[in-house]
Amino acid sequence: MAEDRPTPEQEARRLYEEAESRVAKAAERVVSRDSFGELLAMATENVVAVTRMSFDALDLVWSNLRLAGRRDITRLGRQLGRTEDKLEQVLQEVERLRDQVESSSDNGAKPAAGAKPAAARRRSQRSSSP
Amino acid sequence: MNALERMARTPIAALEFANILLTERDTQIAVTPKDVVWTHRTTTLYRYRSTQRTYPVPVLLVFALINRPDIFDLRPGNSFVEFLLDEGYDVFLLDWGVPDEADADLGLEHYVCDEIPSGLREVSRASGQEEATLLGWCIGGTLSLLHCALEPGTAVRNLVLLTTPIDTTGSLYATWVARDSFDVDRVADVYGAVPGGTVDWANKLMKPVTNYWTTRRRLWQQVLDGEARPEAYQAMAKWVADNPPFPGRAYREWITWMYKENRLVRGLMRMRGRRADVSAVQQNLLVVTAGADHIAPREGTLPVLDQVGSADVTHLDRPGGHIGLMAGSKARKDVWPHIAEWLGERSDA
Repeated sequence: MAEDRPTPEQEARRLYEEAESRVAKAAERVVSRDSFGELLAMATENVVAVTRMSFDALDLVWSNLRLAGRRDITRLGRQLGRTEDKLEQVLQEVERLRDQVESSSDNGAKPAAGAKPAAARRRSQRSSSP
Repeated sequence: MNALERMARTPIAALEFANILLTERDTQIAVTPKDVVWTHRTTTLYRYRSTQRTYPVPVLLVFALINRPDIFDLRPGNSFVEFLLDEGYDVFLLDWGVPDEADADLGLEHYVCDEIPSGLREVSRASGQEEATLLGWCIGGTLSLLHCALEPGTAVRNLVLLTTPIDTTGSLYATWVARDSFDVDRVADVYGAVPGGTVDWANKLMKPVTNYWTTRRRLWQQVLDGEARPEAYQAMAKWVADNPPFPGRAYREWITWMYKENRLVRGLMRMRGRRADVSAVQQNLLVVTAGADHIAPREGTLPVLDQVGSADVTHLDRPGGHIGLMAGSKARKDVWPHIAEWLGERSDA
């Protein structure tokens, strides 16, 4: 059946894909070897060492120019982060206490007609904050 | 198409191919409308807008610390979020954001002991429901499991783990980073926030020919044959290329605790003085594994099935890769309906 016979182009593509698949499998075998892991660890160490040297040199130049550098900005960022952590803790504590107060007052008196539920009120307040 | 036609088409195909690659970044991903519910540091809790919430128990999605959670909502027509919304779920997403050097001090406990509990708390406040489903993917799954293990009384009814690393013994990552010569402390110290591109490079290096060559060669072939689907290729390529940095402390802990010491499966994981006891996990559990997952191999996830204390444990195994399983072209038919069905049976009031 001549029609079923692949064209030279199809045959070339099939051969290419076969070869590519074999190369892919071989590459995966290479990267999964212990020796490749060792090589990668050493390369990482070298890159990290060069990066550290570049960062240190740049920081030195920058600080001698009396300009705020990467470290100063990072330090400020961390301070802001810590402040935000504390604010979040305070906010959660306030909400917890408010829940307590509301639940105890709910036990004593019925809510006014048409009043928004407490949870919904809090939700709308908080979603507008960011 | 005969050889002559193909030759004539080659310049046009080359233009189209270049256009797909060059306009990759312009493609829109994660477009399902959502609202900000809560923010803290780099973390944001979103709630997706929905008009038909059939199931009362909301679903909280948690993604890994590498790549962005946009993969949950890749593109219209191929979005897990869109699918869940259509099925009637109230969907929330905990997005870790883009940390930088200022966030180098954020460790795994920040995510497990602070952000997930706070996220769940806000989900409960926003939805008015006491319980939620926690659905974690990859590292997000491990963080979710750790949360449930550390806080047995947590408001999580259902726990879904997608391609989650639990036991890292024998994995390719372990071959690379578990060795003594890989100095994770130095990497974390120098970078503060480990560049996302480095992590991405390591991920791609696991299958170098496939990731660096075959993907583009296949695209070229599809363009030449007139069968390319640019929107699908570009959405995935854009997501793959978006790599936020990994906070230094979290990176150090992830590599040391999970790969060098394999603490989770050995029952040695401790956070804030408490042991993460996986046997304390009582939630209804669905574990989804992918047969061809080279990042979190199936064998490395299965131990969780025997370790948890849950009475209701389901394992769903499907062919596919780490990401392709949930975001590939077959996911909508072969995986998502099973997850939705499992959730549906456990999400009533």
